[in-house]
Amino acid sequence: MIYLLLIYACIFIINVPGLVKRKEWRELAVFSIFYVIAFALGLMYVLDKPIPSPMKGLQHLIVDILGIEYPQG
Amino acid sequence: MSIEKGKISSQQLLFLIAGFVHGSVLLIDFTVGITEHQTWMVILAGLVITVPVIVSYVALAKRFPGMNLVQINDMVYGRFLGKIISIYYIFFFMMTLSFNIRDVGELYITFLMQDTPFIFLLIVFTATCAFAVAKGVEVLARTSHLFVVTGLFAIISTFILLIDQMDFSNFLPLFELPFIKIFQGIHIVSVIPFGETVVFLMIMGCLNKTEHAVKNTLSGLLVGAVSLFIVAIRNTAVLGRTQTIWTSASFQSIRLINIGTVLTRMDFLIGIAQTILMFLKCSIFLYVTVVAISQLFGLKSYLPLVLPLAGIEVILAATVFQSPVDHATITQNAGIIYSVPLIFVFPPLSLLIAKIRGLPKPERGKGT
Amino acid sequence: MGKKMNFRIMKLIICFFMLPVLSGCLGARQINDLEIVIGMGVDKEEESGNVLLTAQVVKVDMSGGGAANARGGGGEDSEGYWNVSSKGKSIFEAVRQITHKTGNRLFISHNQAVIFGNDVATEGLQAYIDFFLRAHEMRPTALILVSEKKASEVLDAKPETEKYPAMNIAKLVKTYGFTSHFYEVNMEDFASCMMSDTMAPLAPLVSIVQENDCKEIYISGMAAFKNGKMVGTLNHDEARGVLWVLGKVKSGVIIVPSPNKQGEAILEIIKAKSKVKPGIKDGKIVMHIEIKNEVSLSEQTTTEKLATIEALEKIQEATSEVIRQEVMAAFEKSKDLKADIFGFGEMLHKKYSKEWKSIKDNWDEIYPTIELNIDIESKIIKTDLLKKPVSQNKEEK
Repeated sequence: MIYLLLIYACIFIINVPGLVKRKEWRELAVFSIFYVIAFALGLMYVLDKPIPSPMKGLQHLIVDILGIEYPQG
Repeated sequence: MSIEKGKISSQQLLFLIAGFVHGSVLLIDFTVGITEHQTWMVILAGLVITVPVIVSYVALAKRFPGMNLVQINDMVYGRFLGKIISIYYIFFFMMTLSFNIRDVGELYITFLMQDTPFIFLLIVFTATCAFAVAKGVEVLARTSHLFVVTGLFAIISTFILLIDQMDFSNFLPLFELPFIKIFQGIHIVSVIPFGETVVFLMIMGCLNKTEHAVKNTLSGLLVGAVSLFIVAIRNTAVLGRTQTIWTSASFQSIRLINIGTVLTRMDFLIGIAQTILMFLKCSIFLYVTVVAISQLFGLKSYLPLVLPLAGIEVILAATVFQSPVDHATITQNAGIIYSVPLIFVFPPLSLLIAKIRGLPKPERGKGT
Repeated sequence: MGKKMNFRIMKLIICFFMLPVLSGCLGARQINDLEIVIGMGVDKEEESGNVLLTAQVVKVDMSGGGAANARGGGGEDSEGYWNVSSKGKSIFEAVRQITHKTGNRLFISHNQAVIFGNDVATEGLQAYIDFFLRAHEMRPTALILVSEKKASEVLDAKPETEKYPAMNIAKLVKTYGFTSHFYEVNMEDFASCMMSDTMAPLAPLVSIVQENDCKEIYISGMAAFKNGKMVGTLNHDEARGVLWVLGKVKSGVIIVPSPNKQGEAILEIIKAKSKVKPGIKDGKIVMHIEIKNEVSLSEQTTTEKLATIEALEKIQEATSEVIRQEVMAAFEKSKDLKADIFGFGEMLHKKYSKEWKSIKDNWDEIYPTIELNIDIESKIIKTDLLKKPVSQNKEEK
């Protein structure tokens, strides 16, 4: 838990002041989006909340719905 | 216009591609369970099938000099459709990167350091990749020379050390397995080691001279393919029937090295070599993902996105599969199917459309 | 200027903090936390049917000098090893139960040999072998053996020239070349044979001989398995018959009657090679076996002068005959046991893959009908230091 906060604080410190100083607002915006996503995922992981796996969804889509699959041998 | 300010020479491209394909050496374990002693054939067939596709990648990059894949997609398919296709590619990059990071973690947790918590391994590894990416593609290209040499040395030396334990009759009978299995094997091999070179479409924009690009790309691919071939032959000759039951056939065959009771227990050395190669592969993937996303949003530089994306990837890698069993099953089925359009369909299609529409037009930015 | 200094100091601090984190892994174990296992034995307990696992653990003497000193001090009751045993419903459970007695986890990377007791072998090794293949500390180069009675007894027998019974057993098996009456089988080979549909794995058989209070172990032949269950044993000659066909004979002794039938000529095998070609003729399976070997005359018990070309030729024929008998004896035994110990099935599979599909289901019935076409060529290449035997020169001049 602590590590999570530490790591994300570090990421913030490394990136944000530079962006603000150079007035790169667009970059800051995109950075914030991903930063928030990453932090949310990390938080969910640490708090043991189940994270939906995209591959399971994809597997479900391809195998069950579209029916394309190799025979299991 | 381009995000990446650095330039690489085409010889460095050769080493990058060779190192990239090398990194997939342990990943052929996905096919070994299916194609058993005919894995070598499957590798050759996969190589033959992917070569024309890769030539089309280079042709596409030559046609649009200095531009990376996202820009090319925008130009060829128009703004809206191009962005959708780029998002598909980005999804592929992110997923595959998380698989590869997870592979490294699984390597450690199964064989080498079993008690270390999984997430720490992933964090350390990904942080190193992120550091490499932040330094830029030129640095990656320069260090790839060293990694490729290390990888080749490891592969050839293990082959030589195991020669006295090889039994070449393990390759017979030659054409035993049903064709559907061979087909699946070819599918896996052409996607996972060879097809993933589609990521280089993001990097070829940085070539400073494009004359020898085709030759160097194919040479790099060939070097990587030869290494895979040697590994497949070594595993089949040494292990024979048992190669399908081990989690990692390469590791097992290396454990059997027993020369003069001095050269034993080499498997950790191979673990180190493999980690280094996977590091190169993951760094390239991370670089490509970050640049693609930055390009998509029209940013001036990709640097700020490196760390958040690395953070997302770590969590993805830790959670996307539950165990190596999941990983193997899904990769052998859905994983390769969804990436087929990206590797085999879109680039040649883009080339065709570009030829028809006469792109790139010098004055006009996008199509008519 | 100040900002640069700050940055550098921060970098130093980060590096400093990384040191304790990156300098090791959580799975590190020190030597005195390890129980180094050099041999393991698996038996079945009579009443409960549980697994009785015996592990031979090296005692590391920490007080200056190593385990050798422990011997010098106390006479014969201080040994460098300890046989610790535990029971469990499965092997992995028994391995962990041993920590009830030792307090440390077993470290099986140095395991030289795994010995299966007779009861376990006849019941079927399928249920017991999985742990040894799957455990990541276990080496696939570890040897596998079968004991005639109980594995724990074999691990108890104290050898005279070696400090540890397990090392002794491993040494015994690895030096099979001196007699070629058995051969070494490691985990990987055994697993490979078990995976085959038709091939019957073999493993060396260890027996214990009681000689005035002192138990000695020796390898008495090989055990043959079918579908993981031990179905029979091969004695020394039959085992050597198998080795002739497989080309694994390194050295050994062959005794043939001398040409004038008054004694024997004893030959030492120098080199042996074999080639097996499977063939299908008129619906019958024929195996063409070619064995070429070189021997030297090492001893003769007769006074006849054997160093003549005719005598040597007769001896060579007699040698070939002895080899043929050994091979046929092995083949007959394998027919009795209905076990394909030579691997003929796999050889057929590799050459005739189409026919193999129909043959392999009836392999048990087809195997006894195999014809062996054996072609043996023996050459005597030297007679050591004597040209003529020690005898009085009576008639010849």
